[in-house]
Amino acid sequence: MAALTTSGTTTRGPRRRGVLRWIATHSIALAIGVMFVLPLVFVALTAFMSDRQALTADLWPRSWHPENFAEVFRTAPLLKYLGNSVMYSLLATAGMLVSSVPAAYALARMRWRGREVAFLVVIAAMMIPPQVLAVPLYVLWARLHLTGTLWPLILPYFLVDAFSIFLLRQFFLTIPQSYLDAARVDGCGDLRTLLRVLLPMTRPGIAAVSLFCFMYTWNDYFGPLLYAGENPDNWTLSLALASFRGAHQVQWNLTMAATVVVMLPVILLFVFAQKSFVRGITFTGVKG
Amino acid sequence: MTTKPQAARAARFVLAGWTRPRPGHWVRPLAFMAPALIGFAVFFAYPLGALVYYSFTRYDLLNTPVWVGLRNYAFLVAQDPLARKAAYNTVWLVVVITVLRLIFATGVAAVLARIRNGAGLFRTLIYLPALAPPVAATLVFTFLFNPGTGPVNTVLSWFGIQGPLWFSDPAWAKPGLTLLTLWVSGELIIILLAGMLDVPGELYEAAGLDGAGSLRRFWHITLPSIAPVLVFGVINSIILGLQYFTQAVVAASVASGSADIAGSQRVIGYPDNSTLTFPVWLYQQGFHYYNMGYASAMSIVLFAVSTVFTLLFVHRLRRGAHAEGMA
Amino acid sequence: MRRIGVATACLALALIAGGCGAVTSSSGTADAPAANEKVSLSVWSKFSGRELGLLQKALDGFHVKHPNITVDNRGSQDDDKVAQAIRGGNPPDVAISFSTDNIGQFCSSGAWQDLKPYITRDKLDLNQLPAATRTYTEFKGARCAMPLLADVYGLYYNKAMFAKAGISTPPKTMSELFEYAKKLTVFNPDGSIKVAGFVPTIGFYSNHVQMWAANWGVQWKGQDGKSALGTDPQWQAMLEWAKKFTDFYGRDKLAKFTAGLGQEYSPDHAFEKGQIAMAMDGEYRTAFIAAEAPDLDYATAPFPVADNKPELYGGGYTTGTIIGVPKGAKNPGAAWELVKYLSTDTAALQGLAQGLKNVPSTVPALQDPTLQQDEHFKTFLEIFASPNLATNPASSNGGAYIKTAEDFATAYQGGSVPDLKAGLTKAAAQIDADAQLGG
Repeated sequence: MAALTTSGTTTRGPRRRGVLRWIATHSIALAIGVMFVLPLVFVALTAFMSDRQALTADLWPRSWHPENFAEVFRTAPLLKYLGNSVMYSLLATAGMLVSSVPAAYALARMRWRGREVAFLVVIAAMMIPPQVLAVPLYVLWARLHLTGTLWPLILPYFLVDAFSIFLLRQFFLTIPQSYLDAARVDGCGDLRTLLRVLLPMTRPGIAAVSLFCFMYTWNDYFGPLLYAGENPDNWTLSLALASFRGAHQVQWNLTMAATVVVMLPVILLFVFAQKSFVRGITFTGVKG
Repeated sequence: MTTKPQAARAARFVLAGWTRPRPGHWVRPLAFMAPALIGFAVFFAYPLGALVYYSFTRYDLLNTPVWVGLRNYAFLVAQDPLARKAAYNTVWLVVVITVLRLIFATGVAAVLARIRNGAGLFRTLIYLPALAPPVAATLVFTFLFNPGTGPVNTVLSWFGIQGPLWFSDPAWAKPGLTLLTLWVSGELIIILLAGMLDVPGELYEAAGLDGAGSLRRFWHITLPSIAPVLVFGVINSIILGLQYFTQAVVAASVASGSADIAGSQRVIGYPDNSTLTFPVWLYQQGFHYYNMGYASAMSIVLFAVSTVFTLLFVHRLRRGAHAEGMA
Repeated sequence: MRRIGVATACLALALIAGGCGAVTSSSGTADAPAANEKVSLSVWSKFSGRELGLLQKALDGFHVKHPNITVDNRGSQDDDKVAQAIRGGNPPDVAISFSTDNIGQFCSSGAWQDLKPYITRDKLDLNQLPAATRTYTEFKGARCAMPLLADVYGLYYNKAMFAKAGISTPPKTMSELFEYAKKLTVFNPDGSIKVAGFVPTIGFYSNHVQMWAANWGVQWKGQDGKSALGTDPQWQAMLEWAKKFTDFYGRDKLAKFTAGLGQEYSPDHAFEKGQIAMAMDGEYRTAFIAAEAPDLDYATAPFPVADNKPELYGGGYTTGTIIGVPKGAKNPGAAWELVKYLSTDTAALQGLAQGLKNVPSTVPALQDPTLQQDEHFKTFLEIFASPNLATNPASSNGGAYIKTAEDFATAYQGGSVPDLKAGLTKAAAQIDADAQLGG
């Protein structure tokens, strides 16, 4: 409160000024919040419009057409795409956990020659734009006759995912060494230290990394475009949505209804897991 | 409360490993790292080597690669104006997105940091767009900014402002993409917000006693305290800009009004190649024209540039480690 | 832990599957399957919806003839996807492409198999194909495709609007097209466009440089095989016309107008909705109009030609749907039987042509009384028969040169090119340089 005395007007009581400030900051925040959400509101409104009205500049539906959502599922096999997306994201996340947790542990909590080099490799792999290795990797998967499927995207997660290793390592580093030392005194080996001490203590971090991985794969467009683009049976929701308007010759109302359908699972996931999500991100920012 | 001593210890830890090698401890790290090492060999080292080789060949994925020496690189440097345009577009996006994203995210986070009531709700509102798949978010934006029927220009016209053509105008397509990127920067905002909330109250109190103003407090205490997070934001934004692909491809496809599948060669770069980023052109050359050798040469260039930033990042990370704060 | 097990199994399976890829026939011919041999073929095309159903009908006809061959008919597969599937080693047995843009690439890279051995073996008479369609299905001596119906482009105009504006005949020259468009255009009170006489934006609906090029008598290549963009003055004339046309409306106004129009293949197509008075379009539009806007009072005519080349009138641009057998097809012998059936069987072609409202691509099939009866459609049969029918040359790097030309045209039309002549010369140099990269 002391800082307020420097703001000039000193006649009013600090309490009253506090209220004014409360109103000011909260209304600014409200304006920002509305700005962020308004586009989504427009999208939702358009999803309920008739296709004639979607061609106009109207902002509010003249008549409501909830049947648009049923129409979207009739227009394109969205359930199949949904299944593909779920498979890709779940398998990739599972694979990531199996492969990245031990690697992150070795990088964060074990002492060995070459560790720093290994960590640099992780960073390099994490920073490399996915398009850089697209050509040789595509050739590789084409030789295995796996192009046209999502396997070229899923299988690598069972061996390595640089970003997750990096993030997990950061989480593991935040646990005070004293806990690990205590575990070692109790006679725990590395595996038991990892499983009994580190994992329980970094659960929010693990949850966050898993959610990131799930979201990344769910939202991924380049990967599925490259490998599954030729085979609509293996399309993911993101991939299908990108061509939805052009391929099905529909107006904005159906396009926006499809957009809502694609966004909904992620938003539900967020609502469901919001706590560990925000806690995980917070963890990254503060201590990671 | 921050964990400074621990961070310092962690920092020492990062760099201490190789200075005190203990030969007996080789097997277990290797066992822990085994899948990752195989993964790096197969999905990182091998393709990188193959990439270098392909970049010296003409290769269409059907016939065996033909060695052409430096021809692909020569073509890239001297004969491909679209590659230059694509590089320009990518640099534009990297610079503008990095600068605006940080300013914007810091500003929003600073407002949110002062919120006493309903902070969770505001956080959710701001994070919501970031959750949307990029394809969906891009569709939303191309709809909102549709020059003929979109709400943005409609609202602008209420104030007598003639809105631009956005994604249909070469001069406005990239600014449109930038706005889109700001809209979905919720993740960075949350991270920055967490960093700001974590600045110990004593620091502000100490400054308050010194009679520091609100802005000065922000400048002298908040910003330096969240510097590591800001560095993270810069690196994160640069990576984002360098690999800008999805939004560019989808926006071009939708705005062109074409019936072609998104990412098809007819609509890439619309309008007037203003959304043709370097990765997009690389993709086009490799997977539409099947000039895979040439696409490999482009990949090498992209790799070299991103490596520069990787090194910068590593440098910062180590300096940060020495200076006791981990980025 | 079970997930890991599943994944390992998947990986193992995948690697095994990789070991035993499809057997590819490299040269010569593969025999048609014996009558008692059960074979299944996959056919990929970009057809969808109603049109995919029409193709299915033709495929059913094939199945009646060859009961042992079942056909899996997959739609919505564009060239990009087909090409990628071929390179990735999972090609369909038969591929149908909507455009001839990539024929050079298909033939020269071997992505589509050379059909000559089969044609020789079966003594198939190629003279039943009109010359233009023969050209666009082969490249440098390799016949890697057969024509399956053709698309022909002409002028669609709204008769009611013509009457209202006091115009009685369709425009014959590009200047007339411009003049009529000015008369037919209606503006809103706020100055925005309500009805456009003609939308000159390159890239809009069917407006593409290669299509206009036919009516401008534009040369793509000079005698020396190099790009003629910088040397043929018609290029300059065509683009100047397009720019002047755009400036009449105002670039921004026009862009705003087109951004609010319906999709090209949707019932909200602007010509069908009466939002544009004249348009260049393919013969297939007649079918869309019949289905979606049966009350539209319209007529068709050959598209106007350059003022300095009146002799070209009556011709126009043609491209075709082409059909071929990709490299790595699992049943090339049976696939050829299907290609032969679809591209040369008169009944099959006429059935498809009537349904799709496309121009049938063999001489015998052209004599179709049903198609001849439709006055709207008859125009296109006449354009197809004209000696001035033109198409764009095939090249080994696909549509890259068209993209270069169209990019430049769009940039010029948008006002970002100060020197047209220099720009065209530069674009030509680019096309020549690009051609070097791929081959």
